[in-house]
Amino acid sequence: MIAALRRLGVLGINRRNADYTLAWNERRLYPLVDDKLTTKRLCQEAGIPVPKLLAVAETHLTSRRLLDQLAEETAFVLKPARGAMGNGILVLEQREGRLWRGARPYAREDFEYHAAGIISGLYSLAGHSDASMVEERLETHPSLAPLRDDGVPDIRVIVYRGIPVMCMMRMPTRLSDGRANLHQGAVGVGIDLVSGRAIHAMLRGHRIEKSPDTGQPIVGLLLPEFDVVLHTAVAAADQTGLGYVGADVVLDARLGPVILELNARPGLAIQLANRAGLLPRLDAVDARLGPKDGPPVELTLEERIALGRSVAARLSR
Amino acid sequence: MHRTVFVAGALFVALGLGLFSTKTLQYGIPVAPTENLGPWQVELRISARGDGARGSVRALLPSTEGGQIIFDERSSSDRLQFSIRERGGNRIGVWTGWLQDVHEVVYQFRVQSHAVTTPLPSQGPYPEAPKQLRSVWGQPSPGIPSDAPPVKELLDSLRLPTAADQPARIRTIYSFVSHEIATVRSASSDALLTLARREGNGEGKERLLVTLLRAAGIPARLAHGLGLRESTAPDELLWAEAWVAEAWVPMSAVHDFFETTPDDYIVLGRSNVPVVEATGVSAIGHRFQSLREHLRPDEIANLLAPDNRLFAWLSLYRLPVTWQSVLRVLLLMPLGALIVAVFRNLVGIKTYGTFMPVLIALALRGFPLHLGLALVAAVIALGYFARFSLERLRLLMVPRLSIVLCFVVLAVMLFALTGQDTGVATLFAGALLPIVILTMLIERVYITTSEEGFREAILRAFWSVLVASAIHPIFRSAHAEYLMFSFPELVIVVIGLLIWLGGYMGYRVADLIRFRELVAGETAGGAVR
Repeated sequence: MIAALRRLGVLGINRRNADYTLAWNERRLYPLVDDKLTTKRLCQEAGIPVPKLLAVAETHLTSRRLLDQLAEETAFVLKPARGAMGNGILVLEQREGRLWRGARPYAREDFEYHAAGIISGLYSLAGHSDASMVEERLETHPSLAPLRDDGVPDIRVIVYRGIPVMCMMRMPTRLSDGRANLHQGAVGVGIDLVSGRAIHAMLRGHRIEKSPDTGQPIVGLLLPEFDVVLHTAVAAADQTGLGYVGADVVLDARLGPVILELNARPGLAIQLANRAGLLPRLDAVDARLGPKDGPPVELTLEERIALGRSVAARLSR
Repeated sequence: MHRTVFVAGALFVALGLGLFSTKTLQYGIPVAPTENLGPWQVELRISARGDGARGSVRALLPSTEGGQIIFDERSSSDRLQFSIRERGGNRIGVWTGWLQDVHEVVYQFRVQSHAVTTPLPSQGPYPEAPKQLRSVWGQPSPGIPSDAPPVKELLDSLRLPTAADQPARIRTIYSFVSHEIATVRSASSDALLTLARREGNGEGKERLLVTLLRAAGIPARLAHGLGLRESTAPDELLWAEAWVAEAWVPMSAVHDFFETTPDDYIVLGRSNVPVVEATGVSAIGHRFQSLREHLRPDEIANLLAPDNRLFAWLSLYRLPVTWQSVLRVLLLMPLGALIVAVFRNLVGIKTYGTFMPVLIALALRGFPLHLGLALVAAVIALGYFARFSLERLRLLMVPRLSIVLCFVVLAVMLFALTGQDTGVATLFAGALLPIVILTMLIERVYITTSEEGFREAILRAFWSVLVASAIHPIFRSAHAEYLMFSFPELVIVVIGLLIWLGGYMGYRVADLIRFRELVAGETAGGAVR
């Protein structure tokens, strides 16, 4: 078993922590990605598209005024700026001054209570006080829409030392309650870096071929604007200074690829979705770029994407 | 594992094991408790407050006699002079000086004690006690009114056997005090009042026993002592001794023994006065603490050997008893942390908080596992219910968390009350520490439930409790406690093991389970290809 995993080059948690996140991601840079407001600002400054920020409240006092600022909006997302694993996110529609979320109606007080809970630090990583932020709601790209009932799929790209090494799409299902978390029942779809085509799909660790909600085939699907997706992900990762990043990109119907968030401790399930280990690709990148303290290898963004694709092409048989 | 990590870990392990083996091999300190009934370590702590006048604090100190061997006596006191005097067969510790503010006097000793029987002789003749002895222990004295008329009247009514048959007289008197006088804690400690009301407290009954014996012509005296107990502070006791055929026979009408002092009873001295008294002080208080050791006296002597300065200095056995009790628990914590690290980094299971399982295990140290887990489950269920009810009020986090804390306090209070009623005193012991921990746990369980589902919350609670259950027996093990306390250098070994664990780059058991389908698919695919 262990030998088989080694042969496949599967990266385990201990090794990821020690050799990748700990070695390549400086602790002082974590706030850049742990705080979604900072990430958003960072991306905007570099001209990378992000969902529009509609309102922010950092104190209980201002949280009362959040809804007033949203009178013009019909759909938005309330989330904690420093939340983890999609916790505390509320997707709302607004009709005639009343709020809705899916089937269950949300009243003004529900909204304010949730915003206050966020500010108190209920959903933040270490329970510290947090900011409530409201973003425009993203619309799933029409080519992906038939695959799911509810929720917005996102595309996770692992960027190592500026090189995209692996990619998967996380598709929410009814089982995952509209969230894109694999352990809650979202579908993980392995994406071929070269073609942008879905090569495998898995649900709760088991292989599937079709969407569990709509029955539409997943495997074989071609992601639209995949070059732009990779470009956006790598450009955003470049802004952080982190060496091992998971960039989450959403294909919005209107905006195209936008950065949803960045992650300094990206999970390992991407290997299951791709049915491939990360280690051979990470090693190939290290072989090309040399050791950490060696002379820097200067490559343009396009060259780096090309490098990631050629590594992936070479290693996937 | 990187080479440097391996070497660093190995250095720590080697250093720790080196110290450990030197101590065991060269100084013969056993790795396991050799003696379940080893000596006791007893500490007397006196605090006296003075107003600046010259004064002294006096305490009865035990001597080696009968069934007890006293060794390794030490005293520490700030600003006071210590000396020991012999008076009337007793050893009295005296601390003198100018008493200003609060003085803390500590006196410690070790004692090896076993039960000794001094039987009443079965047949005569019974030689009369020497005159000197009779003048001290046969006459009326303060608190022992053996010449009072009610005492004489009572003896007449008891129709004692002839004066020649001393054992029979003693039995009659002992049986009267034992059976006809009730023990009431709040009653008098005066011999005559006890006799008149047919009830007295412990001291009153023993004083009456001594008074009656003396009145019947048998020299008798009061003995002060301690009843040492494993898990709580020792009891200060009083009993009687009667002189027959050149021996003092111990007996107690309160603690129900006759001729034989029970195991773990030690004598402090024979005196009419309290164990601790003082002059020139405005207030004084004292308490005893004891700990049972699991080593033979010679092994303890080795451990504290003066020929080996470093190890003797490093030995925790020379610390005050109260500190030792704390350190005995504290030194178990690294073992708990090691187990958590194994479960998290080798097995890869998720628990609530990194050291929550250690804290749970620590909190439950005073309980058997099943009782402790039931307690935790009950408190969490209660708190969870409280938290659930509060959800509707929409309160902010800190006050809400504090309210849950209040509910937990109330729950623990209820446990204490039921524990008192059902006589399960242990239900409450040590329940204070976990309160905050449990409150935090409740909040985490609640948030996890609402955010990641009930299943995930219960699963994580299950893993936390599982790890806590793995640590719990170690925290309760007398052997582990002995080992860590006698060989604190084992903490260095634990550090070494943790370095190795921290450098383990291989797969966790959870990785293997998670990626098993990948391996299965791969081998099947390979076969087709």
